[in-house]
Amino acid sequence: MKIQKLFQKTRFGIFALFGLIVLSTSILCIYTVDTQLSAEYESNTRNIAKTIADASVDILLNRNLATLQSMIDQFVEIQGIRYIYITSESGEYLAHTFVPGIPEQVRSSDPSSTEPVERSIPGMGDFIEVGSPILAGVAGTVHVGMDLDLVALKIQRAIGQQVILICIFLVVGVLASIWFVNLAAKPLGGLLAYAVDLAGNRDPHPARDDELLARDDEVGDLARLFRYVSERRPGSMGSAAPPGQAG
Amino acid sequence: MGKSTQKPKLGILDEIEGESPMRARRTPAMTRRLLLTRGLAGLAATVRMSHRTAGAGSTSAAAGQATRADSLSASQENEIVLGMSAAFSGPSRGLGSELYRGAMAYFNHVNDKGGVNGCKILLKLYDDGYQPDPCVRNTMKLMLEDQVFLLFGYVGTPTVTRVLPLLKKFQDEKVYLFFPFTGAQPQREPPYGDFAFNLRASYRQETAGLVDNFLRVGKKRIAVFYQADAYGRSGWAGVRAALAAHGEQLAGEATYRRGQRFTGTMRAQVEILQSASPDAVICIGSYAACAAFARDAVDLGLRVPIANLSFVGSENLLQLLTEGRDDAERYTRHLVNSQVVPSYENTSIPAVREYRELMERYDPAVPRELVKEPYSPFPQSFVSLEGFLDAKLMTEILRRMGGGHDRAKLEKAVFSVRNYDLGIGERVSFGPDRRQGLQRVYYTVVEGGRFVTLDDWQGWVS
Repeated sequence: MKIQKLFQKTRFGIFALFGLIVLSTSILCIYTVDTQLSAEYESNTRNIAKTIADASVDILLNRNLATLQSMIDQFVEIQGIRYIYITSESGEYLAHTFVPGIPEQVRSSDPSSTEPVERSIPGMGDFIEVGSPILAGVAGTVHVGMDLDLVALKIQRAIGQQVILICIFLVVGVLASIWFVNLAAKPLGGLLAYAVDLAGNRDPHPARDDELLARDDEVGDLARLFRYVSERRPGSMGSAAPPGQAG
Repeated sequence: MGKSTQKPKLGILDEIEGESPMRARRTPAMTRRLLLTRGLAGLAATVRMSHRTAGAGSTSAAAGQATRADSLSASQENEIVLGMSAAFSGPSRGLGSELYRGAMAYFNHVNDKGGVNGCKILLKLYDDGYQPDPCVRNTMKLMLEDQVFLLFGYVGTPTVTRVLPLLKKFQDEKVYLFFPFTGAQPQREPPYGDFAFNLRASYRQETAGLVDNFLRVGKKRIAVFYQADAYGRSGWAGVRAALAAHGEQLAGEATYRRGQRFTGTMRAQVEILQSASPDAVICIGSYAACAAFARDAVDLGLRVPIANLSFVGSENLLQLLTEGRDDAERYTRHLVNSQVVPSYENTSIPAVREYRELMERYDPAVPRELVKEPYSPFPQSFVSLEGFLDAKLMTEILRRMGGGHDRAKLEKAVFSVRNYDLGIGERVSFGPDRRQGLQRVYYTVVEGGRFVTLDDWQGWVS
């Protein structure tokens, strides 16, 4: 005999609790990963811009633009860095990595700005661009564009992995709780069937009877109590015969 | 002719201890680096091999081969080994192949006559596909593993500019780079100018000459089409500086990515330049990309003079534009190419006669091990003539060193070259402040399906 009603609320409570935990953990995880990784990528981009700016001083002062181009070509090989351009103090484009040409969105922006700016360039994608001044800006500015699509993809992947892990915990937790509930429900079902047999004066299953009576937990105590009460009930199978009726 | 010989394998200790007296002497630091490099190379080889076994291996960019006219072993004495990393594969393979052929025509001739100071000249070759990273790896191998006497005939600006810091790093070893096939500034100026010797005129001189001539014939709006790398930037800077000297500015610019093939489209670049309404376009690129640009420019109606620098490899460019076309003249009539050597058609020049004779006699072929894609060499070309002149001057410098192979004597031997007659009418001089031998720039246009010298710009334009 199955015990369904008694544990329905328990099961619902477990599902609700786990769902709440998964939801809140996922939201927190998405927010944390998104914020921290975005900040990390922006910081890396800024560091790259600063590195180029620091290394460019002598090269720019020597007007050695081929070496300057060679240097930024190496940096643009870093994953996520999609373009780099260097402007002079007068705003002239001294070196860049754009193909087939400098986009209009870049040309129309302030070449001396170093504030992070998000750009959407048709045919190229979405970018966050950071700048770094060369020699405090008097020798020009380095601009580095980080591919936002790639950053978003990486963030999504990181979040996805965390959410998958949390979901795995949810499924395992729910399955485990169901198993534990079933573990508790099974002897209760046996006890119920035993009580029904006793109440109907039917012969209980000897094996189940022995198993229940041998338990040293609350189910065993109840089984023994049911048996005791049943044996003392008049007309029961186990009750003693009234005096004078014997033999 | 052009026969190749493989250097016999030696154990590491054999090679360190049993060093040829004709090779440059190793310092303890170099020996340590050699062992480290070999260890890393062995590890890399193991990784590559495991990749190949798994069926996921990438093709190696470098395949070493020592080549020369006879069959002497590279481990023998009485030889001078020069290291060369160049493009023998990819869309610019014609440049490395032609430069090598020209140089080998002369070196074979020298070796057949007994060599220089009793030593045969060998070239240790590696293919870099005109890509910087393989070129750097090849240079490390040439310097540390192969222990070449000097570096010779490198091809390309993006490759050479990445190698220059390496030469500075190992400056105590005094490994010099001789006559790279690039006119860029980095190997002509501080901080790397001391580690290279150039024969050809610079891109700055080539672009200045083109700009001066265009402006002289009334072509004031000059645009630039260039490779998005150090080479393109070098030429771009040259055009910009030349225009600035005349108070002019670039009319427009468009770029392409290195490695572009002729089959690719350049329509976007043509449209960008069309919007700038230029009077002329100067291209700083490789022959495949420049040919594609010239083709698309004509097809899209951009009918202005299109100039190319010497690096383009004029014959390769012409071949791409004319092969299989009935209307080839339509695509080539606007071309004007600057050159840093005289026309190989001009047989009144003694060095050209010698070049033609030796090219015909030896007809050097690129070692089969380096041929990954089919390439049909030209009997003569501007690039192979440059390689020939490079080899001729290199031989003269090695001769001036006298006996022995002390790299410390090399610089002095170079500086002793003063007013040396290479046989092209322009004399060559070197000195501490003069690390470029030739200064002259020539201009050529297409006539009768070949590039001929242009003397009358006004007449050509009209």
